[in-house]
Amino acid sequence: MPFLVLGLVAGLAAVERKGFLQAMLSRPIALAPIAGLALGDAAGGLFVAPPLELLWLGAVNMGAALPLHETLATAAIAGGAVLGGRALGTGVTGSVAVLAVLLCAPLALLGRSAERLGERRNEALAVRAENALSCHDARAAAAMNLRGMLLPFGINALLAAVGAAATGVVIPFLLRDAPSSERALGLAWWAFCGVAAAAGARSLRCRRAGLVFAAAAGAVALVGLVAWRAG
Amino acid sequence: MSLPAATQARVFWRCLFIQAAWNRRGMQNLGFAFAIDPALRRIYLDPAAREEALRRHLGVFNCHPFMAAAILGGAIHHEERVAAGEEPGAAPAQYKAALQGPLAAVGDGFFWTALRPFVGAAAVVGALTVGWLPVVAALLVYNGIALALRWHLFQAGYRLGDGVVGAIARLSLPRQADRLRFAATALCGAAAGLLLLAAWRSGRPALHGLSTAAAASVAVGAGVSWLALSRGAPLLPLAYAAIAVAVVAAVILGGHLVGGA
Repeated sequence: MPFLVLGLVAGLAAVERKGFLQAMLSRPIALAPIAGLALGDAAGGLFVAPPLELLWLGAVNMGAALPLHETLATAAIAGGAVLGGRALGTGVTGSVAVLAVLLCAPLALLGRSAERLGERRNEALAVRAENALSCHDARAAAAMNLRGMLLPFGINALLAAVGAAATGVVIPFLLRDAPSSERALGLAWWAFCGVAAAAGARSLRCRRAGLVFAAAAGAVALVGLVAWRAG
Repeated sequence: MSLPAATQARVFWRCLFIQAAWNRRGMQNLGFAFAIDPALRRIYLDPAAREEALRRHLGVFNCHPFMAAAILGGAIHHEERVAAGEEPGAAPAQYKAALQGPLAAVGDGFFWTALRPFVGAAAVVGALTVGWLPVVAALLVYNGIALALRWHLFQAGYRLGDGVVGAIARLSLPRQADRLRFAATALCGAAAGLLLLAAWRSGRPALHGLSTAAAASVAVGAGVSWLALSRGAPLLPLAYAAIAVAVVAAVILGGHLVGGA
């Protein structure tokens, strides 16, 4: 049942990402907590959401160019992390999250290939619409558009559910057999967060971006450190 | 300007599905035909004329999905003139062809590479400081702006036809985009600072060495990635490399990481 719900969420998010609305519900910062909520751990989803959003801040669908499918990968990462953390009894920690990223991030590439497949199928829909119009069925020709949402929904629902389920099994297996790796993976999670923050800022192509990024990071860290020491 | 408000609302609703069947043959052609169909039913009472009009809109079309609302409104404006005998049948297609490229560039530059990343980065900072509530607030703000602009563009296109270009120019979207990109970069920096603080606090007070290593991981990860991305390094392999290096470093440092404060 949880996999069905996660699949439904991932499928709807994939449709929202391109086919309908584009309301940012398919972005990692929104989708990860929703996927976590679907599996009963919204906080676990929210834990992985910020670095994933930053990592894929530049994933933009412009013209005919297809970016990495951040939505599919996010649904699987968040779902896998929640399931893995639950199986371990620890909830989503840095080491659980980084393993989920390692296992599910390639789904972003797979999702892009699936999107390309969907575009080819939609070409057939365009031909069918023209044929329907030739048969004086204007209503059927116009409505052909909605059928384009079926394939992205199905593929993403399936891949996200399978990815999360496999990750939820593999993570406890890895961490139970090698508990000493917990600390190393925890550090790797922080390194991943650093990569994500830099990737987000780089993707914006702002003038003097390096200076702005470093100054903001330094200022926030300094103020936070002073407040923490004072508190 | 005779389209009933309900039909306008229906066309606008359908416009939200403009990319539902994006394809390399006609791009957003199916979405555009789907969206404009209720208006064509009102404008052309003769089924043959309506089919001819729908066929026009099954031609190649591609634009930013939000900016396409302006062209959709404008296309309806021109279809009304065609139906009234004031313009030739080719006018709506010429209008679409003239505007789709420039408006796509404006829309991509403002919505995709400025407003959405800005809201995403703001939501990240909110999530790292407060929790889920700022994420919901950020999404509400984004959708308030996006939907209001889409509706405004649709209405402007319908009322003004070719004059929609001036209405869009008055919005100064490229200048706003520059400001938003600057602010979003600063927010990414703020997020990096917050992550560094979270890492620093993660092992304290018991594991002083681990805290230092965690904070260093964030800082080094960000710094090295920045340099690597500047030289064109691909994102996912870079993330995997950073994770691998951090694991190896942790194994080498071993016991030093668990030293108490």
